[in-house]
Order: sequence, then C-alpha cells, then structure tokens
Amino acid sequence: MKDTIVATATPQVEKGAIGIVRMSGERALEIVRKVFDAQGFESVEPNKMYLGRITTKNFNDRAFCMYCKAPKSYTGEDIVELHTHGGKIIVQGVIRELVALGARPAAPGEFTKRAYLNGKLNLAEAEGLADMINAQSEAEVNQAYRLMKGEVSKGIEQIKTMLLTASANIEVALDYPEELLEDTISPTLALLNNAKTELKNLYETSKSATVAREGVSIALAGLTNVGKSSLMNAILKDERAIVTDIAGTTRDVLAGSFMLDGVNVEVLDTAGIRDSDDPVEKIGIERATRAIEGADLVLFVSDTSEEESQEEKDLYASFKNKKIIRVANKGDIAKYPRECDIITEAKSGKNVDKLVALISESLDLNKRLQAPALTRERQIFAVGEALEAVNSAIDGLNINATLDCVVVDVKTAYSALASLTGEDVAENVVEEIFSKFCVGK
Amino acid sequence: MTKRYDAIVIGAGHAGVEAAHALAVTGKSTLLVSLSLEAVAFMACNPNIGGTAKGHLVKEVDALGGIMGEIADKATLQTRMLNLGNGPAVHSLRAQVDKNLYHRLMKERMETTPNLTMVEGDVVEVLTENGEVKGVKNAMGEEYLCKAVVLAMGVYLNSRIITGNYSRATGPAGFMRSESLTDNLIALGLDIRRFKTGTPPRLLSSSIDYDKMEIQKGDEGLPTFSMLTEDGIRNDKVCYLTYTNKDTHDIILSNLDKAPMYNGQITGTGPRYCPSIETKVVRFADKERHQIFIEPEGADTDEMYAQGLSTSLPYDIQEKMVHSVVGLENAVITRYGYAIEYDCINPLELNAALGIKRIKGLYSAGQINGSSGYEEAAAQGLIAGINASRYIDGKEPFLLRRDEAHIGVLIDDLVTKGTEEPYRMMTSRAEYRLHLRQDNADMRLTEKGRELGLVKEDRYTKYQEKVSQIEEIRANLKKRYKAEEVKDAFDKIGESLPQGSISAEEVLKRGRADKHTLLAIDSSFNDFSPEAISYVAVELKYEGYLKKEEQAIKEARRMEEKRLPADIDYLSVEGLRLEARQKLNDHRPMTLAQAARISGVTPADVNVLILHLRKIQV
Repeated sequence: MKDTIVATATPQVEKGAIGIVRMSGERALEIVRKVFDAQGFESVEPNKMYLGRITTKNFNDRAFCMYCKAPKSYTGEDIVELHTHGGKIIVQGVIRELVALGARPAAPGEFTKRAYLNGKLNLAEAEGLADMINAQSEAEVNQAYRLMKGEVSKGIEQIKTMLLTASANIEVALDYPEELLEDTISPTLALLNNAKTELKNLYETSKSATVAREGVSIALAGLTNVGKSSLMNAILKDERAIVTDIAGTTRDVLAGSFMLDGVNVEVLDTAGIRDSDDPVEKIGIERATRAIEGADLVLFVSDTSEEESQEEKDLYASFKNKKIIRVANKGDIAKYPRECDIITEAKSGKNVDKLVALISESLDLNKRLQAPALTRERQIFAVGEALEAVNSAIDGLNINATLDCVVVDVKTAYSALASLTGEDVAENVVEEIFSKFCVGK
Repeated sequence: MTKRYDAIVIGAGHAGVEAAHALAVTGKSTLLVSLSLEAVAFMACNPNIGGTAKGHLVKEVDALGGIMGEIADKATLQTRMLNLGNGPAVHSLRAQVDKNLYHRLMKERMETTPNLTMVEGDVVEVLTENGEVKGVKNAMGEEYLCKAVVLAMGVYLNSRIITGNYSRATGPAGFMRSESLTDNLIALGLDIRRFKTGTPPRLLSSSIDYDKMEIQKGDEGLPTFSMLTEDGIRNDKVCYLTYTNKDTHDIILSNLDKAPMYNGQITGTGPRYCPSIETKVVRFADKERHQIFIEPEGADTDEMYAQGLSTSLPYDIQEKMVHSVVGLENAVITRYGYAIEYDCINPLELNAALGIKRIKGLYSAGQINGSSGYEEAAAQGLIAGINASRYIDGKEPFLLRRDEAHIGVLIDDLVTKGTEEPYRMMTSRAEYRLHLRQDNADMRLTEKGRELGLVKEDRYTKYQEKVSQIEEIRANLKKRYKAEEVKDAFDKIGESLPQGSISAEEVLKRGRADKHTLLAIDSSFNDFSPEAISYVAVELKYEGYLKKEEQAIKEARRMEEKRLPADIDYLSVEGLRLEARQKLNDHRPMTLAQAARISGVTPADVNVLILHLRKIQV
C-alpha cells in the first residue's frame, strides 16, 4: 500500500484567513474521519464541502472538508482537503495530528510527483507548475544549505557516520564470512546506542523548539473566585475576561495571547473547578480540564485571603504531571500565606511582570529557541523515523536476529537521515568496507 | 562466399558462452568465435564458482535458463554453504570446481547446442554501417555478416602479464591475446581504459604438509546451483587453511621495490577487494597474519591454488614468501603468480540492456565491461545474449530492476554509476537483499525466463511442481501439535514449550526454529522437497523484515517503471542545472529511477525532468 502524504497547500503565514491542509493517498479518508466530523460525513459525497468540526489533541476548530475520490483528483489518488482557520499554529497542529494518525509529511513536490506518475497532469498544468515548483525547490536549496552549514547538520553527519560504520561492520561480516578475522559486531551495538542517544536529543530539542517557535499555551487553573480572570487581564494588559466577585463567573475557556521573547503565548482562562450542579458550569469545568491538559504550563492560582482547603490541595495534586507555577494571588489581603512560587496582586498588577519573567524562565523559551534544531515537520519526521529504526536495530541485535535483517533497520535509519541530503546508501557502505577492512582473495 | 549468421559472439569465456547459448536457444543462428577453443569457459584464476553474492548470481542465471549452474554442478569437487550462521538473504552456495572438466563440459555444451557454431579466430574488426552492426572480420581477412554482435573478450584485449621485472604481451595462462580489436573499438568511438588484476601461484600438492593446516570439508545435504541437476554432486575433495606470518610480511616489505604494483611498472587500476598479498601487507600493516586457502585445481591434477597469495613479485621472492608459510616450507611452485593488465570498455558506454549506446546491434558483456569474476561475466553474458536476440526480433529490451535480481543491481551499477576498478558483486550492493535470496531465485525469475523462451519444458515443469508444493505446504501450516509432540525438537534448539498446542506456522516463526525443527515434529512434511519447505520457512520467519523492504520497493518501483525516451535532448531541458544536463546527456539513463541515481543529478533535477517528460509526451 502506498503512503498517505500530507502538507499545507496554502503559504505558511502567521495569520491568514484560511489555511488548507491537503492529504493524498489510500488512507486519506480513513485518517480524516478520525479528526473531522460533520453532518452527513459518514456517507461523504466527493467534491462537496462539508462544514464541521476538527478535533485534535490540543484544540478544536470549525472547518470545511472536501473529499476528491480517486482517480478524479489532482494526484489521481484519494484526496482530502481541510480548510481551517488560517493561523500557522492551527495548520501545523492539524498536520501534526494527521501525521500522528498515520499520514506522512510530503516531500517537496511530492503531490506533483504523484500527479505525474498517475498521469494526472496535462500540458498546460505542467507548464504552469514548472515555474512554481522551481521556485519551491530553490527555496528548498537555500533552506538545505543553511541547515547544512549549521550545527544541526554537523550533528546529523556524525550520526550518519555512526550508522554508516555500523552498517559497514555488519556488511563486511556478511560479504566476507570466511575471511574476516575480527569481531565487528560488538562495536556495532555500542555505535547504535550512541546514535540512539544523539538522535533522541536532536528529536526532542527539535520538537520542543518547533513548539516554542509556533507558540506555547499556558492555562490558568484553580478553584472558583481566586482571581484567575483578573490575573489573565493583568498578564494580557487587557480587559479580556469579565471579572466579578461572583464565584463561577468564567464559564467557558477564554483565550488571549501576548508575545513573550518573540514567542506567541496563548493564555487560557478556565472556569474555576468545583463540584457544581449547574449544567452550564459543568460543561465549562470539563472544558477547563481539557484546556489544562493541553497546556504547556499551568498557573495554579490560589486565594491567600482564604484558608487552604482540602479541595484546593486535591486540585493541585491532580496537576502533578504538568509543569506548574504556583501563584498566591490577592497578596494585598493575604491572611493565609502558603507554599508558592510567587505572590501577586492581580487587581493592582503588582508582581505580574515578575510572574511573566517566571513564565519565560519556566518554559525555557530562550534556550529552546537557541538549541540546534530542525525546523520542518518533514525533517523532524525523518529524524523520528531514524530513531525508531535504530531502536529496532538495537532490539534486533539484543534478541540475536540475523544480521541481514538487523542491517535493514540500520539502513532505514541512514536513509531517513540521508533523505535530508540525498545520498545513496549502498555505494557509501561499499566504500566504507574497502577503506576499513582487509578482505579479498 | 560470405558466411551469414543472425548473431556473432566474440570470446568464449564465461560471458561469451552464456550469450551464445541464449541467442541459439532463442532461435538465432549464432557464431561463437574464440582465440583458442582450448580456452572455452576457461577458469583463469580461482577454482571455485559461487560464494557470497556470486552464488546468488549463478542461481539467478540458472533460474532464467542460463547454463553456468548446470555445468558447475557437474564439475563440482566440493560444495559448501557460506554464511549459514547468518540469515537466509546471505546464505551463499560455493563450489570447488574442476577447471578442466568445467571447460570440457562447457565446450561440449556449445558443440551440441542447436543453432550454435564455434570457430577459432582472431576478430580484428566489428563491421558497421550508419551506426549499425553489419558483421565482423578476422585477422585472416574472413568476413562474417550478422545483425548483432556481443563483445565478450574478457581480459584478452592488449593484455600483458607481469611477474617482477618479467613482462610479456600475452593473455592469461599463455593464451594468445587480441592485439587489434582495441584500436577498432576506439575507432568506433568507444572510451577504453586499462584495468589490472592478478592471480596467486599454483603449488604441487604432494609437496605441501597438510598436517600443519586446518582441513576444510564440504557441507552435506546442500541444494545444487541448478534446478535441473538431479544426480548427487561430488563432494569429497577438501581444502586447507593456513596463514601468512611475520616472516612472510618481512619478505614482502623488504622487496617492495621489486613489486610491479609499487615500482611503477603497472599502471592499470586494480580491484580493492581482490588485492595482491603485497597490497594487503602494505595497506593493513597492523595485521599480524592473513588467511591462505589451499584449494584443488581439479580432480586429475596435483596442482593446488593458493587463495590469498595473489602476487606479481619476482619469482625468487615468491619462492621465499611461499616457503615462509606454515605447511608450505617445501612447497613446489608449478606456476608463478602474475598480474595482468588489459583494455576494457567504460561501462558508461552501455545502456541497461548492455547495448553499446552509439552503435545499434552491438552488445558487450563480462570483464570487458569492467567487472571481475566468472559469475558476474556469466550474468552479463546471459542478459547481453537475450537482448541481442530481442534486438534482432525488433522487441523491447529485457531489463531486470534492482529489486528483482542481483543481476539487475550488477548491471545498473555498471551502466549508471560506472566503475573505476574491476567491479565485484556483493550482497551489500543490493538495497533489497532480503528479497533477492538464492532460495527464491526461481520464484523471482523462472516465469520471466519462460516468456523469453529460455526456460524449456523440463525446467518449467520442475518449477511448477515447486510452486504447487509451496501451496500445499502453506495449506498444511494450520496443523496443530500438542506440547509433548514438540518437546524433543524444542528442547534440542532451546525453545520454550507452548501452552497447550502450537501450529506448524507458529513453529516456523520461533526464533531458533527452522525447517529441520518442523520436519522433526511432523515427518509428513518430508513428502515435500527441501527447497519448497525452505522457501516457505524463510518467507514466514522473515515476514516482518520482508514487509519493511517491500514498502521501500513499492515506493521506488514507480520511478523505476517510468521509461525515458531515448531521444530526449537533455542539454535543452529548461530548468535543469547545467551539471545535471551534462550528466544526463552522457549517461542517457533508460528510466527515471536510473536518472535519479546518477551522481550529480539532484532530486530537484528529477522533478524538473518529470515535468519535462510530461510536456513532450502529451
């Protein structure tokens, strides 16, 4: 079965009216159904727009979806297009979700490649596209060049060398079973373990840098009436949220955003969490819980004018898996000081600037943006693929799988990394064999 | 009166005999010309056929209807399966072969093949007209007319052998060389280069002290190279293993100034994988010893081949060197080792059908194309013969992809990447090795051989029998066995006993199990041929890895199937970088995938090419 590929079909801008995500391949419809639903979508008709809802791990959005049935589509395969709101974060988020569900980020020009291979491009279209694709590939060349010069590519080259040596070690044992006198397999396991560590680092920093570049979200959480909405307004320097003294004023999740160290930070104000019989408030609390789960950082707000209740302790404990800043609010009327990271006065704005600094520090924004990292989904995907293959190779060696099989995984890992530079694996391995080992009649 | 043939093959070595046989069997009147009929299928160097990757080639040649495997089986003295400790993709059959018997049997085969005529002669010219082959002319002035020619001159073009400061213009083992054909090829516009290779000394068996060496016996119960072989093969001859030592290395190092490889006498490019002992000692100075295998040259001769001792050092140094080795202290050298230099064609002159791009009807195969090895030669000879035959019939060429056969990898490497040294096949050159095993060569290729007209009734019936046995075995895999029924077999290999019962399929999937485990549990599987069971067992056990490879193959295949028209003017394709235009123009790839493999052609160039193709084809 052929891969199902996904990419954005519209230019990537910070904010646009519409962003189109396009997916092509046999599983396109199956995958989109996992994130999109609309009335009548179960029995979807081709070439028709459906207005519905996208549900991803981190957010939901209203969107249009259109399905083009093979072979009557641009690529000649099943195609699904999602027309979302145009923010980069939304578009990238949708793509991430689709990749997690089994689609693969498309290589540059891959839709066109498929269209051509399936005989879908006619003369006029081909001529029109030729210019467009050339422009894209030149941008690609520049991008690749910058990447090649940087620290990341040095790291990748090192990992590639490890994989190449590992693969040469195995190949020489396979091609010269009679003549090789040294053990080449033990050092191979060590090499693969090194490669694994390096790949893991690169993968994690790249992912976290991407997330940072594309924005982070923080959620305000706490019991009702502790001043979360006031704090949100103070952070945003805007009367975004309605503030009253009535507990349970905030029902739905409110979002606002501000720039911090060049990164877009989305602030989510959530309903105070308490046992409630009010059906509207209950829904609000459910949404609050979901928003908090998806956030990169939780500001756990407490009211120091009130005694610390068991309810508050339990709520705090329920966030133990999240990154948390404990904010003791209403510091002006603090009667019951408690353990916290910072004391604020949301109403007067006192210490809010310090809280913002603490947020930056806690999310490690500066460091995450400066760490060597890959920038594109495609590259990160390639590194992820390499990591998975190296793990599989290590497992293979550990359970004594035969070497001709283990080397399949090593080569897959190498190819994934080489797809960033476009080299040929077999020839390199052969070169390596000859430069390192004494074999032959 | 001028003699007319459909096709003429120049050279009756391992490439030439396969080419001539393929042409004759597909109904073409064929003339096979050789400098000496004593040298038909002559094994000028090592006395074995097969080995890693090479064994795969022989199996593939056989599956397509070639003859190397059949004759090798008949001339075998000992047979071994290399790499049994590793997975099935690299299990490699290797036979010690009686050189003289192999030559005699192959000559007899040529003599008895209908449509095939053999003649001794020195071809000096390939006759062409308007860029098309017309015939050949020999040194006596006799002309033969034909529609297609296969060049298979091996290492005989302007060859020169060298031992120390002794050098002689001759082919290997004293056979006559070809002195004029190179000039003719240059006149035809071909790019000619000079390569070198070498051979070790031969020793008198009765003078060797085998008690000081390790003995190497053949393995029992192995499959044969050829599906057609029914009689048991001979497996009683033994080989011996000994090593060089510090004395040997000192002798070599202190005489390097007399080594033609190091004093500038030899200018040809030698193979890195088949280095002379002097090269090994220099390049791998930290190695304390190198292996030497002592192998029989034949059943009726006392001469032994000293594998690992390839050298062109002077005779007296060779003598000292040999005598420094344990067991060879009193060895008598019957023939000294020598290096041989020869002219060959730059394989970038060829298309994937092994046709010379600039001359229609001219094909080329074997060492003349810059490869090395009997098996590589036979594989190319077969393909060149097939395609010369199809050219005569006006049919599309027969091409094997990299995911279909080691033969496909071999030819694609040669004609796409070229080679700067004699090219040797290795399994690591194949991206999809798990699919290109020797146990499934027939499953991959015999139907194709049938379509080509090379696979006749006898082979095809056997193949169909294997296919139906495989189906039957698969139907039987649901059979279940109780724990106590598998206990003995599982205990033997250290597998844990199943809870309750286990199916035959699950038995084969166990890590340490193989077909023997299943046969021990259920003897009813003995009704099937061992080859059929092996095939089923391997496909099951490596299912997961095979699937991984399959995914990659499928992605690649679409590019592989996209043929490029022969007349594209790459120099004028808009959007292609200059380097890519020139590279593509030089190589003239046959498929899009080939174009993508050419060094200097980037993925972006391939995209531009895709669009251009679309433009010109609409």
